[in-house]
Order: sequence, then structure tokens, then C-alpha cells
Amino acid sequence: MVQLTINGKQIEAAEGTTVLSAAKQAGIEIPTLCAHKELTPFGGCRLCIVDVQGFRVPIASCTLPVSNGMVVNTETEAIQKSRKFILSMLFSERNHFCPFCQVSGGDCELQNAAYAEDMTHWPMQPGWNKYPVDSSHPYYVLDNNRCILCRRCVRACGELVGNFTLTMAERGASTLVVADTNVPLGESTCIKCGTCVQVCPTGALIDRTSAYQGHDLMMSEIKSVCIGCSVGCGIKMIVHDNRIVRIEGDWDAPVNRGVLCEHGRYDPMNEKRNRITSPMLRKDGKLTPVSWDEALSVVADKLKPLAGKEHDGLAALASTRLPVEALAMFKELFADGFKSGMVTSTEEGMTTASVNAVAEKAGAFEGKLDVLKNADVVLCIGANVAKSHMVAGFMIKRALPKGMRLVNIDPEASELDDLADVSLTPKTGSDLALVEALQAVIVKEGLGRAPLSIQNADGLIEAGVNASGVDAETLSRVARLLANAVSPVILYGKGVTAQRDEKLVEALLDLAKLTGAVDAERFGLLSVKGEANSVAAAQFNLDKQFVLNGQQAVYALIGDDFVSRRLAERLSKAPYLVVQATYASLVTEKADVVLPAALWSEQAGHYVNMDGRIQTAEKAINAPDGVRESTTVLAEVAMRMNMPIKQDWNTSLRTRKASVTLA
Amino acid sequence: MGKPKIASDWMCGCAGCHMSLLDMDERILKVVELADLRSTPITDMKEPDASGVDVGVLEGAINNTANEEVAHKFRQRSKILVALGDCAVFGGVPAMRNFCGVKEALQRAYVDAESNEPGSQIPNDPELATMTKTRAIQEVVPVDYNVPGCPPDADVIFYVLSELAQGRKPVLKNELLHWH
Repeated sequence: MVQLTINGKQIEAAEGTTVLSAAKQAGIEIPTLCAHKELTPFGGCRLCIVDVQGFRVPIASCTLPVSNGMVVNTETEAIQKSRKFILSMLFSERNHFCPFCQVSGGDCELQNAAYAEDMTHWPMQPGWNKYPVDSSHPYYVLDNNRCILCRRCVRACGELVGNFTLTMAERGASTLVVADTNVPLGESTCIKCGTCVQVCPTGALIDRTSAYQGHDLMMSEIKSVCIGCSVGCGIKMIVHDNRIVRIEGDWDAPVNRGVLCEHGRYDPMNEKRNRITSPMLRKDGKLTPVSWDEALSVVADKLKPLAGKEHDGLAALASTRLPVEALAMFKELFADGFKSGMVTSTEEGMTTASVNAVAEKAGAFEGKLDVLKNADVVLCIGANVAKSHMVAGFMIKRALPKGMRLVNIDPEASELDDLADVSLTPKTGSDLALVEALQAVIVKEGLGRAPLSIQNADGLIEAGVNASGVDAETLSRVARLLANAVSPVILYGKGVTAQRDEKLVEALLDLAKLTGAVDAERFGLLSVKGEANSVAAAQFNLDKQFVLNGQQAVYALIGDDFVSRRLAERLSKAPYLVVQATYASLVTEKADVVLPAALWSEQAGHYVNMDGRIQTAEKAINAPDGVRESTTVLAEVAMRMNMPIKQDWNTSLRTRKASVTLA
Repeated sequence: MGKPKIASDWMCGCAGCHMSLLDMDERILKVVELADLRSTPITDMKEPDASGVDVGVLEGAINNTANEEVAHKFRQRSKILVALGDCAVFGGVPAMRNFCGVKEALQRAYVDAESNEPGSQIPNDPELATMTKTRAIQEVVPVDYNVPGCPPDADVIFYVLSELAQGRKPVLKNELLHWH
């Protein structure tokens, strides 16, 4: 620890801490514009200058490490004067006229900084130079006229997202934020995650949907969880007048630490599907709006005779985007109450069944996304995370420039191929042979960190080469890379789990142990799962393949999920179909009864992410009149069936062995 | 000593700051009680007394020779000069013209705009003031108090006027400081 004095206060700070953060920890605020807690210090805006005894001139505190005996003053007259001067210079550079700026009036860090210095005017007038405005992007506008060149966006794009789209062009006063080689942002390599907009301290990057809709001060902010996929990113919903105005990443969220992907930030804002707002019954071949009571009576009458029939009664299907509460009730009602043998989820265990099968034997064997932070070699197998679980992809992409090596194994082409040190495209279905061959190389060369008995290593290698089409040399290279890594991580996805092959997952676990990815302390093996509540659905045994075979009716709890054409086709074969859904779809078209369901943001509930982290999604807005929460409707159905539901999801979530530690 | 004299005028602005002044409602009676309101754009007297006033208040930016004259006259005749509103303080919305220049702005407004009659021309009556670059007042004459806001809230204007009328120095900070 280092001892220093700031504004006369004795402060202790860890070595390597900057004066700016040491001061913050001690409750002393130093104004800054370019510093951001998730970005490396840059020293671009100079607003955080402080006076350090013995230094000839004021110095930026964001890039100054603390040292023993340092005496710092942040509020001397000279510093305050310099700060005003720095702000004057910033204002004079470009067009910082406030009245017609989207962020003016509370949301602008530049304006707030000027207020904090009691600035009533600009001592210097602007230079009246025009800078380009780029409005080619579907979600945001880049206005270089409002830019203070703090480079937060550029750093966030590289350091947090690992995409390196934004960069600076030109020099001095002509410096510009540009995309790639100065191409329009909308035609660039931008992956539309919006992190740059979230970090921009001024109105240089503004969000199209929420722009000019009012100041954040007038709105309420609700912390919640994104349910776009199983990563489970923490979000903040900016809500006004029962409407989500904007979604931002939550800087305090342990999973994503502020970043979000396009799906999390913008998909909920661009919902185009038609909302179902009234229960409907098929009368004379046409769906007709009816009262809840009428709809539920019809459902009850239809379903009652089907109770207790395992195979020729009712089949039930629930979306993995539903909260744990709804999934637990669903399972209790249809699997335990109706005793139906076909109760499953829309994901049909594609991402979890084989993983859970291994967990039954091995216990919780999977780790958390956090392990990627210190990984030096990552093997991605059948997991196109750059597309399916983008924020997990960011975690890999942003570590690559720091030296992480990536091996990507996927029969299908993916963005990771271009980034990987080694990219293998084995023949479909050859994963097991390939993984066994990797094991064999490591054992044969004596590189294993844990014992694994392998007979006929050469035979396995040859079999792997033959099955996958990957040449022996590349295969050995990958095996050595993994075996020689200090902290390797193996990440596997749907490409592996959809094969429903328990042996393949076991082989990956063996490989993980062999390479030291998994040992007594470290869990460097993890599957990315699927949707927001994949893990919960699996814990409730909602992981069968959905097959209709003699059932007389289907209860489909779709919620706000998207329905694949394949699933819709299978559902359309149901003799009688009850659908509980938020939006009209191919499935509701075919339904005999349609019950409107609340949207994720209209109901509170828990979600278990791929890490096993149990998180709460909060209710942000009220559902339209006539729409009820999924749990309310399930409880009503259960009541009419005389099948009381205990609603103890927390216990039933843990009755089955999970692949990850649930907490 | 009699009541302090206050005069005001507007230049290149939208009159919004004066509207905001009227938004102080019944408190304007308090101002009249404390001060002697002389020339304003909404009273009969059109320019400050030649013998001078204590406080001159100017709204709007300076974007032509006529405004320059007003600014100089106010500076000469006022002991204290107040720049009222974002246009007066920073240049504000009218200053956007500086990014394209006077010529292009006039061409667009009087000739090229879709709503203009064909053959429309830029007015060129010699009696018209000459357009200049748009400037904040402080760029033309020294200003004693800058009161930003688009417009400044009635509360802010009341605070500034009542402080000045009572011989005190207004300090704009915290809730009173908004540029909008």
C-alpha cells in the first residue's frame, strides 16, 4: 500500500492506483471527461489536472500513479482557474451550443462539468469549423461537431467489445472519430452494440430512438436483466410514461460490466410483431375475442379429461425465455399435475440435455464466464459466440490483442475463424473423434496435467484425422497449444450439445482435465447454453425433444419468444392447440385458444444464466389492459383443474443436479 | 438616491427571454417597486436615457450593424450591462449561421427555400442594416453579467434583477445556472 495526502487528507491506496481513483475511493471527486471506470486511463481531456507538490506544472490525475509521500491538491485557486480554461478550450473547439443538443439539460458531462465550475459563459468563442455528421447507422448518429476527442468510444469499441471499428483520423483540431478506414458507420464493421453511445460524455454519439424524447432526469431507471440469451447481462431500462425509451448496459452488473450487444440494447426497441391483447377462441373456424373467463372455462373443460394420461393426453411446451417462476409452475402443473409424459421447452434440451446427463454423474463441472478473463488459450468448439452470445464473444475478442490465443473448431464458418490463431472446420459429426484425437496427442507426448488412460493413442489420432479431415500436424499443434497453456478454457456450444451426445461432453471434460482447464480449483470448461432460462428449463427437466404421438391437445406457453418454422409446423399438427403468447405468430394462427401473455419487461421474475447465476428481471412497464402475466394465467388454469401449485421454484430448481453451481 | 434605473432591449433573439421575464408573474411588481423600468421593447420609451441607467439588459446576439449600435449605446449608457439568454451570452441559435456564412444563409432563406416565390431576391434596401458574423455580446462590448439560458427561467431573471436593483452582485450557480 502507498501513503499519500490529497487535500490534506491522509490516504492509503494500492500500488498502481491512479491519483484519480485514489481520490475517488477517499470520497474526493476530481472532475474528468475522458476517464471511465471500465476503460484504461488515457489522459485526453486534461480536466482532471491536480497540483502535486514538487511538480513544476499541474498534471492529469487519471494517468498519474500514486507514490509514497505524494502531496496532492485538487482545489487550489490555480487548479480551478486552469480547469475553467481547459473547459473554455473544449467549448471553443467545435459546436457545443447547448439549446439544440439532445443531451443538454442534465445528460451532458461536458455541460455538467461547466456548471460544476460555475461557468456562466465561454471566455473564448468557437472557431466555426464544420465537421462531418454521420447518420448512416440504423441506431445512432455520430456528430463530430459535438466531439471533445476524449476517445471513450474508440477505447470502448476496442477494449470492451474487441471490435476495433471506431478510430481516429486526421490530426490536431481536425481530428475525427471515424469508422474503419473512414467509411460511413452504417457500412462499417460495426456490430451495432451501442457501447460507444453509452460511454459518450457529450452529444457526439446519440441514440436515434431515444433522442429528443426528454432528459434522463425526467425518466425512471429500472435495473434488470437482459433476456436475449443465456449470458444474462445486467441492464438499465430508461422508462417514461409506461414506455421503455432506451436500454443501457449496467456498469455494476457482474456478468457484463456495462456492455451489451445489439440484441440486448436494440431488439426490444424494434419489436415489430403484432401484440395479442385479448383471449381468443376459435369459433366457426375463426379466432374470436372472448372474455378471460370464457377462454379459461373452455381450456379447463378441454384439458380436464386429459389429466393423468401419460401418453395420449396432453403435451405441453414452454419457452425458455420465461421467468423461472413461470417455468416452475408450468412443470408442476403439466408434468406433476397432469402427469403428462411430454412436457418440455421450446429449446427441447438442445443446449442442455447432454450437459445435464454428464452433471448427473460428475456433479457441477462447468465454470463461469469469468474464467475467460485470465485465459491464455481458449478453445471454442461448436460455439459461434460472436453471433449467438455476443457479449461472451466480446470477452474473447477483447482479450485477443492482449495475447490470448484462440482455437476455433466449428464445421460452420463463423466470425471467430478470422480472429482465431487456429481455425478448424472438421466434417460434421466428427467432434468426438477429433476431441479424442486431441486427448491422444497430449497423452502420447506426455503433456497431460492429469492422468487419462488411453489405449492405442496412434489409432485414435488416425481415427480423428480420418473422421474430421483435419490434418495430423494441425491437430497436434492445437493439442500442444492447449496442453502448454497456463490457464486454458474450453467453451462449447450448440454445435456440440445439439448432438445430444453425452460421450462428447464427457470427452471434452476429459480434455479439460488433461489440459488443466479443469482441476480442483479451476473450472475452465463451460457451455454457452441457449436462451435466457435454458438452465432453469433443464433443471425442471423441460429438455425432451418435442414429439407429438397420440396426444389429444397441446398447451404451448410461448410468451414473447420467437417461434421457429419447424416448431410451428409440429405444433400445427396438434388436434387441439392452446397457445399463451405475447405476439401473433404462425402458432397463434393455428391455435384453438389464444391467451395473451405479458412481455418480459411487464413481469418480474428470475433467470438463471449460463453461469448458474440466479438473477432478477424487474417489471419496468405495465402490460396492456387484458393481458395477464404468465404465472397468473397458469395459476388460474391450475385452480380450475383443482391442481394446487406450491410455487416453490427455488427448491425444485435444485432437485436435479446442475452442470453449474446455482447461486 | 432614487430607485435604480433599468433599461432593456432585444437584438438577434426570439424575444423569448423577455417572455420569460414576464413569466415572473406578480413578482414583476416587486421589480417595479425596487427599480425604475425605463426603456424596454414592450414599453413606450425605445432607448435608454441619454443621462444613463444603472442596469442595461440585452437579449439576443449581435448579427448586424444595427445590433452593434444598440450594444454600444447600451454599454455607453449603462453602469452595469447584463447579457440575457444564450444568444446574448454565447451567440445561441443565430450563431449557427456562422457555420455556413452570411451569404449562404441569405441565399438559402430568401432565394433557394422551397417556400419562396420564384424570382425572390435577397433584400438590398440601402436602409437595411448590414449583416455580420453572429457574435455574443461580450465579443463586441464588455459585459458585466452573463445570464445564460434558453430562455433563462423567470426565477433566474427575477433573482438577477432584484439583486442588481438592491445593489448586490448576483452569483449564478447550482439551480440558478442553466445554459439549456
